Amino acid sequence: MNFRKILPVCGWLAALSALGGANAVADEPKPTPENTIHVQLAAPVPPQKFAKPVKFFISEVIDRSGNPQPMLVLRDRGGIFLDRQPTEITREAIEQSLKAADLLAADAASADVVLQIYVFHFGLAQGSGFDFFGKVEFSVMVKNLKTEESQQIEAKGTSIANAAMRKKNIQKNVQANIEGALEDAMRNLLRGTQLKEAVASLLKNNSSAPAAAPSGEMASRQVNEDIGKRHKSKVEER
Amino acid sequence: MRSLLIALLAALAIAPGAVAKDPEHIYKTVEAKHFTRVEGVELSPAFSDYLYAELRNELGKTKMFVQVIGEGEAVEDADAASSVVIEGVITEYKKGNRAADAIIGFGAGARSLKIDVNLTRRSDHQSLGAVKSHVKISPRWNEQTMAIAAAHQIAHEVKNGLKEKAKG
Repeated sequence: MNFRKILPVCGWLAALSALGGANAVADEPKPTPENTIHVQLAAPVPPQKFAKPVKFFISEVIDRSGNPQPMLVLRDRGGIFLDRQPTEITREAIEQSLKAADLLAADAASADVVLQIYVFHFGLAQGSGFDFFGKVEFSVMVKNLKTEESQQIEAKGTSIANAAMRKKNIQKNVQANIEGALEDAMRNLLRGTQLKEAVASLLKNNSSAPAAAPSGEMASRQVNEDIGKRHKSKVEER
Repeated sequence: MRSLLIALLAALAIAPGAVAKDPEHIYKTVEAKHFTRVEGVELSPAFSDYLYAELRNELGKTKMFVQVIGEGEAVEDADAASSVVIEGVITEYKKGNRAADAIIGFGAGARSLKIDVNLTRRSDHQSLGAVKSHVKISPRWNEQTMAIAAAHQIAHEVKNGLKEKAKG
């Protein structure tokens, strides 16, 4: 009897929760051509000059942001989306800059160093509320395939743009802001002392490579020969 | 007579602007580094990034530098002598007290931040001066607003310090 009395109340509660859920789904922004922005470098960033001519190759660009929606840059006001994955944009920006300076190798085999990029942040970060704070952050594994040695470096770009009231202006400012942060990160990577030092260190080892470089079977043969020589010299000494 | 009057009026209109104009681009580059913190300063990790970005923004507005470069960016050897590096340490941060701010007011319970900044020449690491910044804001405002105030104050002090140094 009691159960029958509370049944309509349960019905109302179920209806209300369903309505709330439907509202939440409706609030979730969806990408449309109107709220999607195209982010790219305005012009290639000229890389620094290296002591020796170097060719780079980008092997992989991996998203390590842990963001379930990496293309959603702003949730408010119907949302703002990127038209491509941040990894794709980052790869394009680096390749564009390296290609313009003739530092991009066609494949990994012909490259002096191979770059593996880990994107940690791409888009907007928490700002003061009066502006948009754009941040692009990634780390790069610089690897010499011949010596199998590698070094990790970091690059970070930031940009601050004014907030806006109109949706159209918000979209314009956010786009300019992320492009600014991307350009800053590219400068930080390609004109940074970290890359210069990493390349110098990795290629220095490469120049003395014939003795140091062999890997696998060649390396073990070399080691065995060395041990043999040492053994012989000890025997001779005796 | 009439042309003389026009010339005089034009001179009067132009002269104040010309005199008040700051000496532009005294230095080629300025590199702002991420500020470090002493132990016990409890600010979010994002604060350093925001302060760094805002400081670069403000340094650009001073018009003392041709270019504001990012941390760790290489500089041409020829430009190193006229390049400045800005390093800083956040020495103290007080969260503030919202209740004291609301009940007493007049700066009581304010959120405060103290930063020591050093300016050095890139080529020989010679000191170009030191700036001590102390910012106080209402605890109702967030950390980023405090970073804006601090960056503005530091950039202003840096501009004045370097201008004095340039005058000799």
